[in-house]
Amino acid sequence: MKKVIMGNHAVSYGVRLARAEVISAYPITPQTQIVEMLSEFCSDGSLNARFIKVESEHSAMAAVVGASSVGARAFTATSSQGLLLMHEMLHWAAGARLPIVLANVNRAVGPGWNVWTDQSDSLSQRDTGWLQIYCESNQEALDTVIQAFKIAETVRLPVMMVLDAFILSHTEEPVDVPAQEQVDAFLPRYETEWRLDPDDPRAFNMLVAPEHYMEMRLQMQQAMDEAMGVVAAVDEEFGAHFGRRYGLVEPYAMEGAETVLLTAGATTSTARVVVDALRSEGHRVGLVKQRLFRPYPAAELRRLLGQAKKVGVIDRNISYGHEGIFASELKAALYDLPSRPQVFDFVVGLGGRDVTPATIRGIADYVLGHDAPGLEPVWWEVKP
Amino acid sequence: MKSKHSMPKPAAPDAPITFASLAEMPPLPVSLGSTLNNKTGTWRYIRPFYEDRTPPCSYACPAGNDVVHYIGALRDGDPEAAWRILVAENPLPGVCGRVCPHPCERECNRREFGGAIAIHALERFLADEAAAHGWTIGAGPARRPERIAIVGSGPAGLSCAYHLARLGYEPTVYEAESQPGGLLRYGIPAYRLPKDVLDREIAAIERLGVRFALNRRLGDNLAWPELAAADAVFLATGQGASRPLQVPGEGAAGVIAGLDFLRRVATGKSLGTVAGSKAIVIGGGNTAIDAARTALRLGASVTVVYRRTEAEMPAIAGEVAEARAEGVAFRFLAAPAQVLAEGGQVRSVRFQEMRLGAPDASGRARPEPVPGHEFILPADWVIVAAGQELDPAPLQGAGIPVEHGRIRAGEAAETGVARVFAGGDAATGEGTVAQAIGSGKRAALAIDHYLRTGSTEGLVLPQGRAAHATPRNAAEAVVRPADLNADYITPEPAPELEAWAPPQMVGNFAEVNAGLAGQAAAREAARCISCGTCISCDTCLIFCPDVAIAHAEGGRYAIAYDYCKGCGICATECPRSALHMEEEGQ
Repeated sequence: MKKVIMGNHAVSYGVRLARAEVISAYPITPQTQIVEMLSEFCSDGSLNARFIKVESEHSAMAAVVGASSVGARAFTATSSQGLLLMHEMLHWAAGARLPIVLANVNRAVGPGWNVWTDQSDSLSQRDTGWLQIYCESNQEALDTVIQAFKIAETVRLPVMMVLDAFILSHTEEPVDVPAQEQVDAFLPRYETEWRLDPDDPRAFNMLVAPEHYMEMRLQMQQAMDEAMGVVAAVDEEFGAHFGRRYGLVEPYAMEGAETVLLTAGATTSTARVVVDALRSEGHRVGLVKQRLFRPYPAAELRRLLGQAKKVGVIDRNISYGHEGIFASELKAALYDLPSRPQVFDFVVGLGGRDVTPATIRGIADYVLGHDAPGLEPVWWEVKP
Repeated sequence: MKSKHSMPKPAAPDAPITFASLAEMPPLPVSLGSTLNNKTGTWRYIRPFYEDRTPPCSYACPAGNDVVHYIGALRDGDPEAAWRILVAENPLPGVCGRVCPHPCERECNRREFGGAIAIHALERFLADEAAAHGWTIGAGPARRPERIAIVGSGPAGLSCAYHLARLGYEPTVYEAESQPGGLLRYGIPAYRLPKDVLDREIAAIERLGVRFALNRRLGDNLAWPELAAADAVFLATGQGASRPLQVPGEGAAGVIAGLDFLRRVATGKSLGTVAGSKAIVIGGGNTAIDAARTALRLGASVTVVYRRTEAEMPAIAGEVAEARAEGVAFRFLAAPAQVLAEGGQVRSVRFQEMRLGAPDASGRARPEPVPGHEFILPADWVIVAAGQELDPAPLQGAGIPVEHGRIRAGEAAETGVARVFAGGDAATGEGTVAQAIGSGKRAALAIDHYLRTGSTEGLVLPQGRAAHATPRNAAEAVVRPADLNADYITPEPAPELEAWAPPQMVGNFAEVNAGLAGQAAAREAARCISCGTCISCDTCLIFCPDVAIAHAEGGRYAIAYDYCKGCGICATECPRSALHMEEEGQ
């Protein structure tokens, strides 16, 4: 059934369809509407879940860690400072191998205080052991929630699905909301032996000596490796059920492309329009949407970009003292190819500054007009 | 979805846990046995322990009443059990609930949280309930053959007889008057202690096998050789002699000792005309107030004259206030100098005004005359209540040691004369019913020990506080407000206990103080904090973060020391100081 809904509510519907059993969250703009609607679902009985009110995001994550530890399907949502406050518990959720799903609405980090979008919050949690999936549309947001539970419960790692503040979270789009029976057929009830059970008392997550600690970390790395295949398989299975597939990365207009733009999230839609225009003008320009960020789809990116001459990376983030994070990661992935494209890095749209078709056209023209990038990223459209 | 990993089977508790390969390892750290393998108790350096401690009410009670436990049983909805706990220590709860100045309430920790528990009202309630329901208490199972003579049937003699009967003896109580009760019957007016209350409590003692020999006065028709035939003798003859004023004119008609006055009223003996007369009562103790209020009820206009101020009066403050409310006048800082008579009949008293000087041996300020300041009060009656003392005459010839107007007796009531014990006012001079009850009980325990062992040596009785007939499972430390956890105690006001102001005072000896009725008594019992006494409230069990506290038999708790880390939360949270911490190895 098609509904015209905001990205936040697309997430809420996705969580309801996934039959989450425990939801705990602390309100923060621009995420609040997600859990607001979920609390209404809990209240009106349309979702049979326990909604746990807490006093902070740290506690919200602790609560879903607890819920997941006893075998409940658990969900939370947050943004920006809230995600940062969860940091310790994000490591805990991953290390405890709990299949929690978190929706992070990308919001810039203060100070300066700012509620608008960029990727600083989620990317600063890059190394916590969570999968990260960046969504381009409200439809993808809904679909990704459902996929995320299946992926997480298969590999026993938590999944963070990410959507842009306001551009997706508060913007209404037509979204196909699948029927409950369809989702039930795709995503069965979560069952696990690995749950705290009063009838078989165990301690979880206690001291691990150096003798075994490294192996436990290697297990997480292996689970991430496994996740790469699982994300693809779940996406494929999802496509079979619902007719929509997203891939780990999505190539767009890539036939014979010599110059390629790399985007993540809602910026991708803007870039599609620009790439169409450039193609119609005869430029051999393509686009790659990076949907999966962790595990890092290095093989896919090498396959898609190995033959290109130049890649312009649109980084809505900055790793201070270095460069945009998507560009850094891409460069490392391409490094040992025998021939590899020049990678141009553009730091764009921080703190919700608009990224318009003109912005992306300017970036594309810059890449087309330069033989090689400089050593530093280009801070695009900043005041002199 | 089904996880592909599967939970490893628990290993033997002490098996070393190592994995040779990644494939064997679980995906997250998990105990392979139960968490019970982790003996967190080894971290502990201080340990909690349950120990009931002495509540201040029980500590303060001269009769040794187990206040906290009988109120606890009442709160738990079992008034009969409450009464049984009460009478295990005190045979006269109906009396004490009415006339005791209740030092328990002065010490009650509830004073800090809304007002002391009305302990006396609960004691009285239980006694009255017992009478209403016909609850009875039995004598001790073992019948003891020894003959015990008790001289005096006041509260000390009654208490001694009762506790001996409970221990299996059948003592004989000798009483000079025609009815048992001593001061309770002849010294305390009926408006404070209705005679039927006294009668029923004495009848209960009699039912235990105690024999009463009435109209037997020591030194008169009761001679020492008869007593000497007993295996043990307890002297509880009280302080029957009134101290004289030692002023000129004291022999005039109309001058009467306070106890004589009360006895005459109690026994209905002729007094002459009191109605319409002017009566002066001299003294500041309970006998003075009892005499004043009695004279008022006989129709006199009454003035109490006391040589110190109201603050120094030994009488129960509440009684003084009630006397004043009833119309008794008070004149302080005045001492009698001369009784003035006409034709042998008192007409007035000349008083010397006094002021307070340095404290005397009793700690009270010594009154001193104010030279040149005197006044005269007209009087038809002068009731002298300036103190009582032992009448030593009957004891002479028996070798009973008398000092400072009292029989000299030790901690175990022993007099030093073989087989003879002494207690109550005659030996202690303490002056309250509860103290006499405590003294009689102490003597009963001592006599029992003496009869079993031939000596009072080796008998352990508490020093400085009442002995208990039933051993109490509480450490000696007394719980004070600072020992309680105020977070658990809601301040609640004490109930208003109504004193009935008789509309028609003259001739009215009906009881003036109302007690607490059923529901009000239950509510009042619920206000009790149960200081120092575990009441199975589960607070410790709920708070223990290690789940190391479990229910044990009899409403108690067991601490699993293998897992208790000694965090102390249980002892900190315990509302009533029944759970404490000590260093390991102590």
